Amino acid sequence: MTGDVAAAAAGSGGGCHLFSGCGFPAPGLQDFNFKPLFVIGSFKFTKPELVAILCAIIVIVFFLAALTKPKVVPGKMQSLAELGILAVRDQISRPAMGRKGDKYLGLLISLFFFIFMANIMELIPLFQFPAMSRIGFVIPLAITVYVVYLYLGFKNQGAWGYVSNMWPRGVPWPIYIILIPVELLRFFFIQPFTLGIRLFANMFAGHLLLAIFMVATWYLAGLGIGLLFAAGSAVMVVFVFLLELLVDLLQAFIFTTLTATYIAASLEAQH
Amino acid sequence: MATVSTRERRGPGQEERDQEAASRALGLSTGWNVFSYLIAGMLAYGGIGWLVGRAVHVPLLFPIGMIVGLGISVGWVIYRYGRAVDGELGGGPGRGGHGHGNERGDDR
Repeated sequence: MTGDVAAAAAGSGGGCHLFSGCGFPAPGLQDFNFKPLFVIGSFKFTKPELVAILCAIIVIVFFLAALTKPKVVPGKMQSLAELGILAVRDQISRPAMGRKGDKYLGLLISLFFFIFMANIMELIPLFQFPAMSRIGFVIPLAITVYVVYLYLGFKNQGAWGYVSNMWPRGVPWPIYIILIPVELLRFFFIQPFTLGIRLFANMFAGHLLLAIFMVATWYLAGLGIGLLFAAGSAVMVVFVFLLELLVDLLQAFIFTTLTATYIAASLEAQH
Repeated sequence: MATVSTRERRGPGQEERDQEAASRALGLSTGWNVFSYLIAGMLAYGGIGWLVGRAVHVPLLFPIGMIVGLGISVGWVIYRYGRAVDGELGGGPGRGGHGHGNERGDDR
């Protein structure tokens, strides 16, 4: 289908519309693969990598610029940075960990703002791609969180204490035997997997949805009845755009909140 | 950072807002724990069923294992999270386990 669309588009001077003989050029997996911007040996540098690196640089430079020399009466940048930090502390860290969580605020702030920036890139013209819709960027974040909470768990509760605290209290012993495979699998594999896969799936689906309505608006636009459908699709673009704005923020929030609750569980036994 | 981390915003209704945020974190964590249990149960017993089925040449043990695993997970989720105590999720013996944060031990 993609080949047909390309041929039809080339034949009609770049326009592939309803009634022009070509089918709907449905966005798909091909929209997540980019041509390399440049190549160094076997390493291909692509747009998603550029977006991810840019997001990291933006977050680092912003917080460095805002908080390197903090003033008692904060300026605009410092106020904005403090607002962000306080939001993460009061809405994510403190509710899950109390004051003990302040020690891990750096990690949580970095995670939240990096993920948020990488997500919001899908709505910024020219970039228009969320780095987190590529699972290669999500898995390292999930592994980082996994290593942190395992390390803290072993450090604070001891290896045996940490593992034994996973087991539920007050249930008959045969239930333990039944639950051992479930608990082990859940804790060591499913928990980090769901942490990462949820973020990836949401961003992937969101980007695809936005692309579908944008392409549909272009495809349906014409002088006939298609214009009516194009208008409907354009309305959907605005709606999905606003929805994605919310999803971008929400996914960063959920990832960071779950990280905070996993760290909280590592700091002390919670029964 | 030092100026920020020591700053407190204690205004009217702050306690309520803190509680609301804490219960939101607890609810989020509980939701994903439940989801993880359901997947883990199916995978664990599906895997065991698959291994045993492969050994004894009964492929049907794989789907049976998955269903049994799902049943165990559902039963465990109901036991662990199904009974709310004083409006809180996961209170009571054996139900406020790993990853809930309902006993944070904080010093707020």
